Amino acid sequence: MNRYALFLGCTTPTQVIQYELSSRWICQHLGIELVDIDDFVCCGINQINLSLEAGLLLAAMNLAYAEDKGLDILTLCAACTGALAEAIERLKDQETRNGVNRKLRIIGLEYNGQTQVKHISRVLYEDVGIDRIKREIKRDLSKLRVAPHYGCHYTKPESAFDGLDDPDNPKTLHQLISATGAFPVQYETLNLCCGGKSFPISKDIVFSLVQRKLDNLMNKKIDCMVVQCQTCYLMYSDQQKVIHEQLKKQPDIPVLLYPQLLGMALGGDLKKDLGFDLNAISLDRLIAKTGLNRKI
Amino acid sequence: MDQDNKLRKPVQVSKLDPKFRPEVLKHKSAGGLNACFACGTCTAGCPITEVFPEYSPKKLAKMVKLGMRRDVLSSRFIWYCTTCHTCEQHCPQNVEFFSILNVLKNMAAKQGYAPSPWIDQTQQVMRTGLIFPADEELVKKREFLSLPVLKSDGTKAKRLLKFTGIAEIKSPRKILE
Repeated sequence: MNRYALFLGCTTPTQVIQYELSSRWICQHLGIELVDIDDFVCCGINQINLSLEAGLLLAAMNLAYAEDKGLDILTLCAACTGALAEAIERLKDQETRNGVNRKLRIIGLEYNGQTQVKHISRVLYEDVGIDRIKREIKRDLSKLRVAPHYGCHYTKPESAFDGLDDPDNPKTLHQLISATGAFPVQYETLNLCCGGKSFPISKDIVFSLVQRKLDNLMNKKIDCMVVQCQTCYLMYSDQQKVIHEQLKKQPDIPVLLYPQLLGMALGGDLKKDLGFDLNAISLDRLIAKTGLNRKI
Repeated sequence: MDQDNKLRKPVQVSKLDPKFRPEVLKHKSAGGLNACFACGTCTAGCPITEVFPEYSPKKLAKMVKLGMRRDVLSSRFIWYCTTCHTCEQHCPQNVEFFSILNVLKNMAAKQGYAPSPWIDQTQQVMRTGLIFPADEELVKKREFLSLPVLKSDGTKAKRLLKFTGIAEIKSPRKILE
C-alpha cells in the first residue's frame, strides 16, 4: 500500500474543502493511505516575496516533519508542490542545507534530503496508473467534454519535477481525464496562468487573465473545466462569478477539482464524498448530462 | 495604465547607481543576470505582459543592469509576477528571472516597499502556522464533514522565522504607481 504524509496547505482546508474531501475519498478508494501531520505549517511560497530564506526555512521545516515520520509528501495545491519541490532542489546544496539545519535544530528538527514531494495527480498517474484507474470506473462520463487546466507549479520549474510532464505541451491531466471516460478538450490558452499569486496585489490583472481563458473556452462546447490546484479553482470559479456579475455575462462555466471528476466516475456520493454542493458554480447541468439525474 | 505610446523621460546617467547590479549579483540565485542578452523571450511568454503590456521582465532586467535602483525597488511592477516560471522555462540563456525578481522583492521589502498582503500573511503564519485563520464557522463545517481538526499553532514557525528578519518588515513607504 502507498503511504503519504498529506500536505493540505493553507487554502484548501479553509476555503476549498471539497478538494480535501474528494481527495481523501479517492485515495481511500484506491488504496493510498494518507497520514495527517499536525505540525505542518504554510509551505512558505508567499514568504519568498519578502525573504527567500524565510520561504526556504518554512519549506524545510515541513520536509523535516515528513522525513521524521519516514514518509514522502502528497500535496493537493500546485503551488505548495512547487515550493516544496524547489526547496528540495535548493537543499541538495550541502552548504545551503547545513545553514538551514543549524536553524532547524533549534526547534528540534533536521532535514537530510530523504523526503520527496508528489502532487496528488502525479501519485494517481505514477503510483495508481491510468490502466488501474480505467478498471475502477463505475459510472459512464463519456458525454462530458472537459477543459483541463494544469496549474503552473504542477510542471514548473521543470528541473524540480524530473520529467513528470512537458510544461509547454503537458499531457498527464489529459490522460487522467480520459481515464475517467470524459473527453479532454484541447484549447489555445491551455498553458495560460490563472494569476492567483498576483491576486492579493492586483485583482485587475487576475480578472483579465481569467477572462482571457474563459473567452477562449466559451465556444469550445465544454461541460466544465477541471483543475488540480485550489488557487486555480478559486480564480476560475469564484472569480468567474465576480466577473460575470460585473459583465452580466452568462452562462458560467462549471469548474471541478480533478478528484471530484474521478470520484464521480468511481461511484462516489456526489455530496457526501465529493462535496459537489460546495462548488461556487452549480454542477446540476453537468450531473444531468451524465444521466445521474440527481440535483445536489 | 497603458502609457506605451508616451515618450518617457531620458535616463539620467548621474542618477544611476553602479553598485546596484553587483549588489543584486551577490545573491546566488540572481547569478544569471549577466548571461541575459536581452532577447525578450521572457517578456514574450509572460502572462502578465499579455494582459498588461507595460510589464516587461526584459525591461526590469535591463533597469537592474543600468543601475536604476530606486526606479526598480519602488516599482509596483516587481510585485505583479504570478510566479508561473514561464520566463525561466523559455530563456535561451537559462537566466532564472523569477529568482532575480525574488532578490529584487526581498531588497525592496527591506527598504520598506513591501505590499501589505504579504506582510499580513507572514504575521498570520507566525500566529497560527497557516496564512488563513480557522474561524468558528469553518471549524463547525469541517466537523460536519468529518474532517480532522485543523491545527493552529505558529510557535515553531515564529521561532524559525525570527532568524530571517521577516518579522520586522514593515511597509511605511508608498510604492510608485
